[in-house]
Amino acid sequence: MLEFEVSFMRLITDNDVSASFGLAADECLAARVGAGQSEPTLRLYTYRSHCALVGRFQNLENEVHRAYCAEHNIALNRRPTGGGAILMGADQLGVALTLEGRGDDSYSRAREWMTQFSSGVVHALQSLGVAASFRRKNDIEVNGRKIVGLGIYRAPSGGLLFHASLLVDLDLPLMLHALKTPFEKISDKEIATVADRITTVRREIGRAITVDEVRARVAEGYAATFNVSLNGGGFTDDEWVAISNLQSLKYDTAEWVNQTTAVPDATGSAKIKTPSGLIDVRLTLAGNTIKAVMIGGDFFAAEGAVADLESSLRWHSADPKAVAAPLETAYTQRANDLSSLPRDSLVQVLQQAIRRAQVAESASRADPYGCFVTPEGAHV
Amino acid sequence: MSSNQNYIFPPDLYYDRATHIWARYDDEIVTIGLDALGLESLGDMAYISLQAAGLPVQRGESIGSLEAAKMVGDVIAPVGGVIAARNDDVLRDPSLINRDPYHAGWIIQITPSDWESDSAQLAHGADVTAWVESEIERYRSQGWIE
Repeated sequence: MLEFEVSFMRLITDNDVSASFGLAADECLAARVGAGQSEPTLRLYTYRSHCALVGRFQNLENEVHRAYCAEHNIALNRRPTGGGAILMGADQLGVALTLEGRGDDSYSRAREWMTQFSSGVVHALQSLGVAASFRRKNDIEVNGRKIVGLGIYRAPSGGLLFHASLLVDLDLPLMLHALKTPFEKISDKEIATVADRITTVRREIGRAITVDEVRARVAEGYAATFNVSLNGGGFTDDEWVAISNLQSLKYDTAEWVNQTTAVPDATGSAKIKTPSGLIDVRLTLAGNTIKAVMIGGDFFAAEGAVADLESSLRWHSADPKAVAAPLETAYTQRANDLSSLPRDSLVQVLQQAIRRAQVAESASRADPYGCFVTPEGAHV
Repeated sequence: MSSNQNYIFPPDLYYDRATHIWARYDDEIVTIGLDALGLESLGDMAYISLQAAGLPVQRGESIGSLEAAKMVGDVIAPVGGVIAARNDDVLRDPSLINRDPYHAGWIIQITPSDWESDSAQLAHGADVTAWVESEIERYRSQGWIE
């Protein structure tokens, strides 16, 4: 049974929007829908190529290469939703579903919301022949490769914004140059490593499908999963005014874009030689949370299995017990695929990388004039 | 102490039924945090930001925002008053909320303006056991917990 049932839903499609307008429109609609001032809306849109959007609480300096972005006219902004930095443009479809929240369940249904809200995108991808599935927490994947990033924001009015970024296509080298990654250099090897972890609609179906065709499928997906007719429309006059105000007062301001958090980032790496080969782990912590992790080396593992492991660790606590739990699940589910990657050695090298990141973070605190640790910085 | 398996609800606290935020009244200060079921649903805390000390707030108003996994939402004041203090340890390491929700993981303190009136709207004492049991049953029936 659907958690959210709506009798009607407006469909807005727009293209080539600026980063500040795109985000202001989404937040504004969430607030207004929650307050009963606007209709529940599915917005399917593209940003002007390109912009780099960081998660609600991320430090911009840790996530993007400012100089490169400035040089290549890549706009920078901050989403109201959480998660990691993304690159958006004409080949990435933005999905913003805004619904009236339920006043008595601020926190208790977050997990279920994500499952239902993502179902329209999953339905659309499956209709194209892409074997996409929702991965608990925050991604839609195809055989361990991420194809959609997800996030939810709850407005003070109670309105809910479900955000998804659907990769119809992606310029991987551009993304690796614009966003900071655990790599110290970017060569074909690093691009291939990321290509093992990210995929696109065009890659999966093997043809140059247009964004408009994907958009139509996503609209059909939401109509089907919510069992509702979508009424095409645009922003109302009141909405244009409210969006414009929010854009100028928030998303166009340096105060919003450049805000920082007290939670520090730190990176660590470790290697271990095993009879099955070398295991090389690089990770980034945000406080005590694993924000990013890359498991490399020359061991053998089935396609998608390592990306699956990494995904199970992202946004998890870095506490030893918390790290062990998702690994146990992954090894149970993919025992054959991971048989040449010894679990004990992986746990050992992960914990060593975490300890080194924690030491680096402590050192940066002790030396306020030192270089703040960034994900691409020197690994301890 | 109300509990069911790992879901502990200390009986001396007050609970906002809508937001799963707890409140402890002590020496004219209300300390606020997230309860066990709220945390079970939200998962690991990644980030939190809080309004500054000295800011007046009303019950039901946002006093900050948090990110757990990928959901971003507001921290809602269970009582009105003036923000007295923020937990700097939690701001720097939000996972402290998960590790020790009722003690070291407290979030914010408010000097209440009308504790008697606001606290009457929160679950407390004998009400807590019945409310917690119904919440756990609801979570279980939905498949959110085992």
